[in-house]
Amino acid sequence: MRRPLVLFATLFLLWVLVAQANHELSGFRVTLFLGGLFTVFAAIWLPRTEGLLTVFASGLLFDVGTPVWFGCHALLFSLAHTVIHHFRKRMPRDEAWVSVVVALLANLGIFLGVSFSAFHDLPAPTNVWPRLLTDLLLSQIVLALIAPWFFALQLKAFEITRVVLPAEEHSVR
Amino acid sequence: MLSSRFFQSRPFLVLGIVAAVWLILPVFVKRFIRVSFFELQAPVDSSISYVRDLQDYWALRTRTKNDLISAGRDLARLNASYEVTLQQNVSLRRDLEKLESILKVPPFPEHRSEVARVARRDFTGWWQRMTIRKGRNYGLLVGSPVIFTGGVVGRVVKVGLYTSDVELISSPGFRLSVVIDGDGRPITYQGSENPSLAPARGIAEYVPLDITLKAGTPTRLVTSGLSGIFPAGLAVGELGRLDGSNDGLFKTGEVKLDPRLSEVTEVTVLIPVKPENLSL
Repeated sequence: MRRPLVLFATLFLLWVLVAQANHELSGFRVTLFLGGLFTVFAAIWLPRTEGLLTVFASGLLFDVGTPVWFGCHALLFSLAHTVIHHFRKRMPRDEAWVSVVVALLANLGIFLGVSFSAFHDLPAPTNVWPRLLTDLLLSQIVLALIAPWFFALQLKAFEITRVVLPAEEHSVR
Repeated sequence: MLSSRFFQSRPFLVLGIVAAVWLILPVFVKRFIRVSFFELQAPVDSSISYVRDLQDYWALRTRTKNDLISAGRDLARLNASYEVTLQQNVSLRRDLEKLESILKVPPFPEHRSEVARVARRDFTGWWQRMTIRKGRNYGLLVGSPVIFTGGVVGRVVKVGLYTSDVELISSPGFRLSVVIDGDGRPITYQGSENPSLAPARGIAEYVPLDITLKAGTPTRLVTSGLSGIFPAGLAVGELGRLDGSNDGLFKTGEVKLDPRLSEVTEVTVLIPVKPENLSL
């Protein structure tokens, strides 16, 4: 049970950092969305139940401060986790770039999912797309830049807390 | 073959069960989880906001004495002008009370004001919100209007123990009854898309056909006071463009909002003294 807690702590840290970055970027009217980063490590390295639990809880962090229905992010994150977990045996997980590409794809999927969930509140949804595409482009660039650092941080967190990742996954490192 | 397929689809079956359980979960459980996560985030937001204030404080400490003297002089001038305005306000309030008693008009709703620092801004393309550093501990109520020096900021949509969430006037779901300054006919204001690297804007609907924009004279929109939530006369924005609507009965316009709204650091929450009429 310690594995989900350690992972959740790193995800909470990321949530705080992204929230602060968005606070500072508000003057430019651009936003970062890094939902994909919240799902990949758990899906690739953790057993399914532990990963799903962690990812669901991290999705609730997003849900609390947003006007979409409560559980929207949590279920989208869980879906992304399930898909990645399903295909993880077919991907070379020890390659850093694979995790980054998976995170980018997951981020794209979750971003679109949230967009469609939030559309019912918008008076003219088609007018919002230029802004959303700008945000998405910026988010993907930032995600690609920070993902290797964040995955290393997550591994380091497990080392510092002396929590062992499941044997077969750990050996792949 | 069948068992292999079942094994492959089992993770998705589990996800389906999780989703179904979540959807049928009793409301009070969801509410408990929501409140717990909200209060988990609140100390983080507040702490970082206090650290930011401390940074500002130490940055100001590096200013020279001459800077402080000139800032003090500017403040003294501002205070003097506010003193005059306060005296005018007292006289105007007396006149208003007299007129209300003569015409037997119900008095405007009274508000108590509570100044709050902004802990976090979240201005996405989907919604525009901010978290402020006061909550139930200061008697804030859901639906209370929020203003700043530039006019209306938005309204409180969620109140926690120590923090509250405010939906901004630029948020696409935000609607408000407004009037053109000097014209009594109500117009509907609605938040609009917020383009990147540009000030926020809104949409004015049901603008009467005889309203035209004059070059060089800004057409100000102010709150109408009709909703019973926002007091009348608060600045909302300026009409930037007017087009004919599809039905030809009204015009539709673009509203330029105050650019300072994007970087607001302190707001005032107007808490109704009699909160019966307060609703979202």
